[in-house]
Amino acid sequence: MAEERSFAAPPVAIETARLRKSYGPRWAVDDLSFSVNTGEVVGLLGPNGAGKTTTLSILATLIAPDRGEVRIAGIDSRIAPAGVRRKIGFVPQIIALYAPLSAYQNVEIFARIQGLTRRAAQARSFETLEAVGLRERANDPVWTLSGGMKRRLNLACGMVHRPQVLLLDEPTVGVDPQSRERIFTTIRAAADSGVAVLYSTHYMEEVERMCDRALLIDDGKLLAQGTAAQLIEIGGRHPRMEITFENSPSPNWCAALPGVRELPQVIATPKVILEITNLRQVSEVLEQAHHSGCKLLEFAVHSPNLSDAFIALTGRALRDAATEI
Amino acid sequence: MLRVTWIVFQNEFRLLAKDRASLFMLALAPLVIITVAGFSLGNIYGVQPGSEPYQIVVVNNDHGWLARALIAALGREPSETVVPAANLDEARLIVGRRARAPLCIVIPQATTRTFEAGRDVHLKVYIDPVKRLEAQAIELALDRLFREVTARAHDLARKRMAEQGANLRDQLVRASAQMKALVDQVARLQHQFERARATAQAEIAARTRTIIQRARAEISSQLANSLGQTKTLIEHDLAARRDALIAVSNYLERLQASQQDFAKWLADLKSAAGSHASQIPPPPQWPVPPSKTLLAELSKPFDFPAPRIDVASSLAIPNLVIRLPEVPQFPVLRPIPDFAGLISKSVSTLPGAVGWEEGSITGGTANVNAFDQYVPGFGITFLLIDMLWGVGVGLIDERDWGTLARLHISGAPASGMMLGKLASRFLIGLGQMILLFGAGWLLFGISLGHDWWALLIPAAAISFAAAAFSLVIACIAKTRDAVLPIGAMAALAMSAIGGCWWPLDFEPYWMRALALGMPTTWTMAAFNNLMIRGLRPSSIAGPATATFAIGMGFLTLGILSSSRIYRHAGQ
Repeated sequence: MAEERSFAAPPVAIETARLRKSYGPRWAVDDLSFSVNTGEVVGLLGPNGAGKTTTLSILATLIAPDRGEVRIAGIDSRIAPAGVRRKIGFVPQIIALYAPLSAYQNVEIFARIQGLTRRAAQARSFETLEAVGLRERANDPVWTLSGGMKRRLNLACGMVHRPQVLLLDEPTVGVDPQSRERIFTTIRAAADSGVAVLYSTHYMEEVERMCDRALLIDDGKLLAQGTAAQLIEIGGRHPRMEITFENSPSPNWCAALPGVRELPQVIATPKVILEITNLRQVSEVLEQAHHSGCKLLEFAVHSPNLSDAFIALTGRALRDAATEI
Repeated sequence: MLRVTWIVFQNEFRLLAKDRASLFMLALAPLVIITVAGFSLGNIYGVQPGSEPYQIVVVNNDHGWLARALIAALGREPSETVVPAANLDEARLIVGRRARAPLCIVIPQATTRTFEAGRDVHLKVYIDPVKRLEAQAIELALDRLFREVTARAHDLARKRMAEQGANLRDQLVRASAQMKALVDQVARLQHQFERARATAQAEIAARTRTIIQRARAEISSQLANSLGQTKTLIEHDLAARRDALIAVSNYLERLQASQQDFAKWLADLKSAAGSHASQIPPPPQWPVPPSKTLLAELSKPFDFPAPRIDVASSLAIPNLVIRLPEVPQFPVLRPIPDFAGLISKSVSTLPGAVGWEEGSITGGTANVNAFDQYVPGFGITFLLIDMLWGVGVGLIDERDWGTLARLHISGAPASGMMLGKLASRFLIGLGQMILLFGAGWLLFGISLGHDWWALLIPAAAISFAAAAFSLVIACIAKTRDAVLPIGAMAALAMSAIGGCWWPLDFEPYWMRALALGMPTTWTMAAFNNLMIRGLRPSSIAGPATATFAIGMGFLTLGILSSSRIYRHAGQ
């Protein structure tokens, strides 16, 4: 009963407490506690391998946590996983569709599996396809659809039964802008209708645009949470400069420049990230690079954002080449 | 759960309908392989009708009737055509160049003569070692053909010998009859001889007796006459001699008186001589005169009766026996009692050929249509492969596509999904077997046994076992790329060892023992019982149960391991 009291009552739709999951000696999720309210879109932001997919899989009851608790719409997933499954809609990172079947058939089968009658499933399938902009392609086999359409269809299959909780695992990977907009619109509409959305991504722009809140995680740990503005604040207000060289520059090539700090990166690349004091230092940095014999390919100057916050918190970039698990 | 099972079941059919590769693998690919295997490996069971006949190159160095008969018999075989060659070199060229000519036969000179002489003949068969299998098939056919020819020759010889025996028997019977008549005639003659002899003997005796009696009477008469005349003459002659005898008797009486007077005189003389008497010599001895009785006898008159000669009594022939020479004894002739036995013992017969006639021990036909083996055999193989594709790869694909996890998250119980998938694939597999058997029946004329519906039982059992086996493979293999190598290896091994591709008796003992643990073995046993052996449905109870039991084992293992798939699905 004490544990029951430790959870907030609805409208909290998703609530985790001290969630832990390991693969061998490595912790994929480490003491993760957060909540998502009804009608809220919460971004789960982290680099590849941060534990986003594992967290979503635990929430979706696909895998069991080693420790900790999960409640979905007030239902303890350990006690009633089937009950949890009836409350959630899951959109995996991969396009989990039957390629030989038509768009309609894909949506319809998941609707029926979720318990809808044949007639209801039929009606709901067309509605959902309309919502994601695929009504006209309802009878086309999935393999004939573009990547963006498949992503939209992937989303449609996860929400056709109108779940209370929508778990989205990087739903916009590799999609065209038009499809991305359609996906955003659909998700927003779902949230507006009261669906709690947990949106996993490593695109900070999507979080900044879509999410009411964001959970910044790395190595399975929750680094920070809050609104985008709150998180950017954590990263400080200094601009950043990203420079791409033809070859890796020599160590400490910019140490002589006052107020310029090279941020460490996990993987050595020809690209370096510098924190500068003000925009006037840009020309000084470029000149120094020239003097140090490095051939510069391109450079960019950024205002502070979530990525900066992540770098500030972890000391490394949000986007790297690590493989997501 | 049943609802989910039903939805997944339907979805599997929907997926299958969209999957042309799977449909090809289900129906067309097995038929292609069965057709190819049936026609190419049909040599194991004998050449199939309708296939291009073998070309048998024949070098006839004999030119006798036997050689012609053999060539004609080869030509009558539907699976063979005869290609004549002038000599062995030409035959070698033909065999080397023509794909359907695996061997040539050389009929040596004097084959017919040798055969007619009752000695074995040997043809020379040269085979192309590369076409060994075809050559063996033809050699089997040749062996059968030559056995038939030899048996026919034996039959002919036996028939001729039987005819000769019958003729001999007839002749013997006739001879026997003639001999019997002769024996009867001899007996009659002997009897007649005996009678004639007896008659002659009696006649001769009677006539002899008559003649003797006549002679006796004549003799008696003549003797009486002669005696009377003789008596008269004697009496006359003796009367004269009697007078002389009386005078002699008188003289002798006087002589006797004179003797007495001399003795007296001598005595007186001696007395007178006194002392000189001793000097007087004795007088001569006087003979003793006959007695007076005797002399009286001499002088007695002849008075004797004429002698009576009783010829009748002296020449009586009361028991006149005239013995004629005996009738010579005829040789004893006996009829031959058992001609059949005599013939069988005396007439030499051709020893019977030890042959054999093939028949099914179960009462069905002994001739096997190769497709009776290959339709179920390759049907099972493709069933296993298709199950691997449908269940094994299907599960891995769904896991990799994410649909498995998605279905799971959507509230579908794992057991319901698994049941739906297995049930659908089971039905698809069963349908595949029905399709293949139907096509086999229509296209290749395979046997469906006494009760065609009974084929559904092993087909259902192997479909179940194959579906469960594929589930196990899907659980063992971690990736799609691993399912087919592992599964195909296992499926193909099970097919091969289980007797799907060749009869189980081709395999060594240890492999057959190994095969007992495989569902393919039992299913093929059931199909063989129904289709080839022509047994009743009760004969497949054991094999079908064994297949089902092995399938249950696979299913249990699969269910216990199925959590691996879902575990991977969640990652």
